[in-house]
Amino acid sequence: MNESHLRRMKDLPSTHLLGAGTPMCAGCGGLQALHEIYDLLGAKTVFVNAAGCMTLLSVYPFTPFRGSWLYTAMASAPAGAQGVRDALDILIQKRRIGREEDLETVVLTGDGAAYGMGLSATSAAIERNLDFLYICYDNEGYGNTGQQYSGATPHAAKTSTSTGPSGYAGDKKDLFAIWAAHRPAYVATVIGAEPLDLARKIEAAKQLRGPRLIIALAPCPVGWGYSPEETVNVGKLAVKTGIWPLKEYIDGHVIHTKVPRSRLPVEDYLKVQNRFAHLFTPQRDEAMLVSLQTKVDDYWKNIA
Amino acid sequence: MYRIRFHGRGGQGIKTAGRILGNAFFHEGFQVQDAPRYGAERRGAPIFAYVRASRDVIHERGIIRHPDLVVVADDSLVPVPAAGILEGISRRTVLLVYSHDTDATWQARLSTSAKILVLPPPKKPTEVPEQGSVGAACVGAAARLIGVISADALRRAIEDELADAGPVVVRENVHYALDAYEYVGEHQGLVKEGGEPSARDYERPAWISLPFEDARVSAPAIYAAATSVEVRTGLWRTLRPVIDYARCNRCWWVCGSFCPDSAIDLGDQGYPQIDYDHCKGCMICVAQCPPHAISAIPETDAEQEQPAEIEP
Amino acid sequence: MSAKLLTGNGAAAWGARLAAVDYIPAFPITPQTEIIETLGAWIDHGKMDARMVTLESEHSMITAAGAAAATGVRVFTATSSQGLLYGMEMLYTVAGWRAPFVLVNVSRGLSAPITLEPDHNDILAARDSGFLQLHCATCQEVLDNTLLAYRLAEDKGVRLPVIVNMDGFYLSFTREPVALPDPETVGRFVGEYDAENIRFRASAPASQAVAVLGGSPYSYFRYETHLASQNALRVYEELGKQYSELFGRSYEPVEAYHCDDAEWVFVMMGCFATKAKAAVNQLREAGWKIGLVRPRLLRPFPGECFRRALIGKKGVAVIDQNISMGKGGVLYAELASELYGQSNMPAVLASFIGGLGGRDISSEEFFTIAATLREAVNENRTPPPRLLYTEKELREVRKLQAIAHVERQQLSAK
Repeated sequence: MNESHLRRMKDLPSTHLLGAGTPMCAGCGGLQALHEIYDLLGAKTVFVNAAGCMTLLSVYPFTPFRGSWLYTAMASAPAGAQGVRDALDILIQKRRIGREEDLETVVLTGDGAAYGMGLSATSAAIERNLDFLYICYDNEGYGNTGQQYSGATPHAAKTSTSTGPSGYAGDKKDLFAIWAAHRPAYVATVIGAEPLDLARKIEAAKQLRGPRLIIALAPCPVGWGYSPEETVNVGKLAVKTGIWPLKEYIDGHVIHTKVPRSRLPVEDYLKVQNRFAHLFTPQRDEAMLVSLQTKVDDYWKNIA
Repeated sequence: MYRIRFHGRGGQGIKTAGRILGNAFFHEGFQVQDAPRYGAERRGAPIFAYVRASRDVIHERGIIRHPDLVVVADDSLVPVPAAGILEGISRRTVLLVYSHDTDATWQARLSTSAKILVLPPPKKPTEVPEQGSVGAACVGAAARLIGVISADALRRAIEDELADAGPVVVRENVHYALDAYEYVGEHQGLVKEGGEPSARDYERPAWISLPFEDARVSAPAIYAAATSVEVRTGLWRTLRPVIDYARCNRCWWVCGSFCPDSAIDLGDQGYPQIDYDHCKGCMICVAQCPPHAISAIPETDAEQEQPAEIEP
Repeated sequence: MSAKLLTGNGAAAWGARLAAVDYIPAFPITPQTEIIETLGAWIDHGKMDARMVTLESEHSMITAAGAAAATGVRVFTATSSQGLLYGMEMLYTVAGWRAPFVLVNVSRGLSAPITLEPDHNDILAARDSGFLQLHCATCQEVLDNTLLAYRLAEDKGVRLPVIVNMDGFYLSFTREPVALPDPETVGRFVGEYDAENIRFRASAPASQAVAVLGGSPYSYFRYETHLASQNALRVYEELGKQYSELFGRSYEPVEAYHCDDAEWVFVMMGCFATKAKAAVNQLREAGWKIGLVRPRLLRPFPGECFRRALIGKKGVAVIDQNISMGKGGVLYAELASELYGQSNMPAVLASFIGGLGGRDISSEEFFTIAATLREAVNENRTPPPRLLYTEKELREVRKLQAIAHVERQQLSAK
């Protein structure tokens, strides 16, 4: 991470740009991350959105954005960003608008679009070296339709389409690695519960040009099954147990920006969410718990 | 209206020939419509192009059913039903064939009332046009047979079409075209404009009401393996690979593995055998054979050794 | 103004070049690819000041086209067939953005079975999207209507994207003489794109294409789009007059050929309609009072123009180069709904379906359609819908089925 003027929490903005009054659920971890991000990106932005929870941020005639917004469709927000970016470049190049009218093009999608339907459009936007920032709020399921499993759902989680005794049979896709494999300018994971880490990464991304991609783990009270006030605690547990590694990819290298000194047991994170309750009641699924812990341990084995 | 069809193979400049003739008509003040027709096949496969020209606006479009002139740039296509060379020809059609054989030979070979005229390749081998320029020679002859296109319009038509290919290519193609234009001079104007179909006297189409057939029959599915072998892609070939078994070292695999078309198998003795019904003449086997035991010979020479049967 | 032999694809590319488009999102598909190759070469060699980007799908291509138009630049794009359908979600979406741009569709039959040659099921699938539709019958019309399409799309009373449609192969790969209008006059006609309030600028925040909740605002926005589309009829009529004054070629929403004294009329769209024109000439030679009516504008539907052209006719044959499965010809149904209940309308409106997947329609077939119409009027009945298909064609299909090993007893059991 570049040297940042954001040294401590008190350096973070104290007034907030994103308008209140949105229809997002109370305690939404995604909105928390977005408003932290928006403080740093500011109003000279155009958010290009794909179908998901946050499509409802702008419902006629209400929008929380002080800058601009374009809703596209579930699969093609990065292509929408391409059209906007190219059009702004053309307008500036042909001197129809001044540089001061330029905007940062930001794609905003959930994990359903980012991990699945929109992955081809994202891959292509990166290969074309599109100058844009992609923000994925990852609530680990198709949240807007009632939390069915998606490509981002973790192993064993119950969702409304994985209701059996073992939960979701698949594994969470490593989108960070998929994005990084394209060698874009920047990739990072963030979480709203770690605002300083998040802010430093957005600052870093702002300094760069080209494709810059951010995955924000978005604890979801409704979809994950916990009370809204726990969003930050759940988020912190995701980091402290090592489930959600905070890291960034830059110049061909992956750097972990927050390595938990002594990781808490994964169980501490699982047991506070209803979607994992079947691992504890009516009886403990020891085998599954061990296996989930082992996966996290294996991940961290070679890191710092 | 003049209705002209060009037949040849992909790679022989057939599309270009159609466009050159279209340009030439256009220079002479005609309304023109020209188009190539090809399917999904590639180089070597039969293609055709058509040209319509008229002093009036042309409303007709698509395939030409009753051509005034049919130009065949590759005589090996004549016996190929899929090439459709003889479709819709009649007493008043002129058939121009680029061929070593004589008018009389073709007249005997084809039981047709159409007038057949042969344009022979030049006698000197150095004068024989490259594959891509055969079309230019054909279009030169066609222009003269039509009779309303001047040599100058022909030259300009070629220059328009081939300008991007550079002056050498233009010069060569003008040369082939004008040579052919001269060669058929005595037949100038042999091709006559065809009339319009008559709405007084015509045959009603035998329309039918399609019967319902259940999906076991009427879905687009093939219930068998490898039916593609019924397609004789050997007809695409202009060069033939021939194995000299005295030099073949029976390596077992090189020519057969690299042949993209599964057209080389091993025989009982471990010698490769080429399936000429399907070999497209790509010559990868010739290029890859370690002891250089496979050579390429022109298909026309091979046919003379082993006369191909002409299907009725 | 100079004339040149151009393919339909070439004419479309010239249309985009003369309209001085800024941006071309692209994706290759037969038989459209020549358009983007031609434009790409002009851009690469400095003959056109535009930016072309190849997207990874038509869905993305149409998204980028709409997004760029919504940012305030003039956009051109092109596709065909499966590509149009792959982008179908975005056709509806970007039309709702009220972002004006022009898309050339090169019609090609739809899968399955997948094929290359034309019919109109692709473009008709976009019928209800909000895009206006201009259907061309000659290469000249492709160029002229591409220019008209920009004026139409960008008109303040319309502001909707436009599809200019041409048939694959029969226009796309066919050269005809095309008069190239003088660029300066075109410049005056097409003018600069005034994006009005559809734009993204740092100084003017805008949220476009936002959601609505509830049917009431939804109905409002949707019906306004419908009204804008309907406005385009009058605007096209006006633009056609202006175009005629500047370039000498006039365009009306519906072309009526030899209709004034006609008792019998063919109705067709697309370039097969010129085949019908040839048949009209040949039938008139044989004493028939017959004409052709061809819609250039299909959306908005020029119902009034049709009624004017068909009033008092004895019999009308609609030849649809499309098929709505389980219903029949689309244009037939649309026309019937315009004529029903009006006074002095044709006694017989007959439906024919022909030219699917590029299947030819012969002059003898046109003659027989005319004869069928006359017989029907004499007998005072509407003939059943007819697919133009011959015994010989079915025999050829039987041969193919034999190779495909469709079991004989299944065939013979029928």
